[in-house]
Amino acid sequence: MFTPVAGLIMGVIFGASLVLTGLTNPDKIIGALRLKDFYAIRTVAVFLLVGMLGTLILDLFGAANFSIKPAVILTALIGGALLGTGLGLTGFGPATGLASAASGRLDALVTVIGMIFGAHVYILIYPSVVIPLERILNFGSVTLPQITGASSALWVVPIFAAGSLALFITRSREQQYDEQRMRAGDLGMNEVFPFPLSPKPILREKGLYLKSDCLNAAYVFRQWKNLLFVVMLLCLLLIQGSFWLVSTGQVDIAENSNTEAPAVPGADSIQADLAAAPAKESPSRWLFGFDVTFERLTSIVRIANIILVLTSVLYALIMYFGLGISFKGGLGGLAHICGALYMALIIFVLLLPWQNFFGSITMGATYTPGELARWCTTDIGDTLGMVLFYLRFTGYWALVMLLLLLAQLRSFRWARAIVR
Amino acid sequence: MDELPILDKFLRKSRKGRLTAESRVLRYKCEEELIMTELNSRTPPLPWWAAGMLLGLVQVLAIALVKPMGVSKQFVVADAKVIERVAPEYSENHPLLSDEQYKKFGYGWWFNIGIVLGACLAALHLRAWKVRTVSLWWKRNHDAPVLLRLIAGFCGGVLLLLGARLAHGCITGQFISGWTQLSLSAIPFTITLLGFGMLVAYLVYPKAPNRLRREE
Repeated sequence: MFTPVAGLIMGVIFGASLVLTGLTNPDKIIGALRLKDFYAIRTVAVFLLVGMLGTLILDLFGAANFSIKPAVILTALIGGALLGTGLGLTGFGPATGLASAASGRLDALVTVIGMIFGAHVYILIYPSVVIPLERILNFGSVTLPQITGASSALWVVPIFAAGSLALFITRSREQQYDEQRMRAGDLGMNEVFPFPLSPKPILREKGLYLKSDCLNAAYVFRQWKNLLFVVMLLCLLLIQGSFWLVSTGQVDIAENSNTEAPAVPGADSIQADLAAAPAKESPSRWLFGFDVTFERLTSIVRIANIILVLTSVLYALIMYFGLGISFKGGLGGLAHICGALYMALIIFVLLLPWQNFFGSITMGATYTPGELARWCTTDIGDTLGMVLFYLRFTGYWALVMLLLLLAQLRSFRWARAIVR
Repeated sequence: MDELPILDKFLRKSRKGRLTAESRVLRYKCEEELIMTELNSRTPPLPWWAAGMLLGLVQVLAIALVKPMGVSKQFVVADAKVIERVAPEYSENHPLLSDEQYKKFGYGWWFNIGIVLGACLAALHLRAWKVRTVSLWWKRNHDAPVLLRLIAGFCGGVLLLLGARLAHGCITGQFISGWTQLSLSAIPFTITLLGFGMLVAYLVYPKAPNRLRREE
């Protein structure tokens, strides 16, 4: 239990610091490789020096967990060459590729997909190519201090001193440049004027000032809107995915919920949920590192439902505020944002679990796990029942999904209209 | 950068079809301004020494807690999982896939998921979350940017992971972690990594963007 949590936390810290330090930007990497932009080089140099010194200190206290890779000179050479080619071509490394895909770069996303293919190629060639190669020039897992017989301090301290000295000597120009930019106010997280061509705001003319202010606000709203959209999309996919997992029999439905379920769909779903919760654990299958049981699916669906309803409220509210801002600031794009607001409201209405309030008269697009269990376990004989079943779980969902995409498209047009 | 066509329209209309010398100067200035803005908006928020120290401390923390960082192995693990599901016999007999460490999602897997999460959160926090397809250097050097960039990205991705696994680690796992632990394998890896990286970057990106060119 400790390991996944530690991994997740370390990953979050590392990913965040990759973005914070700007190494996720391929321009920085390419600039470094072309020796035009020294930011990345200096950053990585400090990274290495601090890492070395810190590891040495940890080692002195006996707290370092080493994991030394086998030194196979030939494969390291070939691998370095291939990796260098990929790095020079794209400007991403594996870690920075992941991180910049997460910060919205589509080319990085494609690179990540390419990396998955690369892993597959590696698996395919492993028995025939890699194993023979690894026998050549294999020195095993050794470190430089072990080979030379000198203590690691003898290695680290001179390297650290020389590196720091070199960085310090070549610092002057870079630092001046940094300070200039700092004075100009664009190094920190200060405001970057969002639309480069528009004139700087003139303080005397209130209208322009208001307009640029409203533009900034609209940018913030747009960002949050996009985030909420992604969250909603994920939740919808989760819900639909768990429906398919259950209905195709990948996950066994716990038996308690089967027997105690009332006959009328949607009549007493809370009781059915309670019955489903303490169900015994059925034999499990893995999916992305989880053992998927119906019990777990139940909790996932519940959480996704809660998040969905809440985010749909926020989504509609953000559309409303966007409408207000673009009205107040005279930014234009009112028709688009009105359409988007309307659709967001419809989504919200469709998503609410009406079946819990009104019994079987109406239904919402979200379903409770108990309901799913009931629908799946009752025998559906005729075609009509089958059609109803899929309409209720997939058709309804597809409608909401369609509306969500349309709303996002409309609001995207709104954002573009604003920029114009 | 996307605003330039709009500017072009405006210039042409006012100058009757052709750009005069004056408007060409204006266009150049605007382009320069745009590139400056784009570069600045992508300027990392930390100076280099603080950035390096932050990353170094993360690495030290990782070594103190579990083990040095590494990214690329988990791609193989994910792939191995799929293969195990699709073709169990193949993965049973495969010398790599039958290894125990490729059969479960552990620390490294969650580490990668954490990278994605953390990067997303940080980009949102910096207001830098923006859908982009091309980089400045790429735009400067290639005429048909987007499709070519995606194709190059894919090929680069295949090479990246193949190379990383051949060398037993990617840039994080072999270059950074290798040097912080002073392992022998980092030396040949570094030599070819930087050599080929600079060579390919020189071939693919011969021209530098404007502001950098001016500084030469």
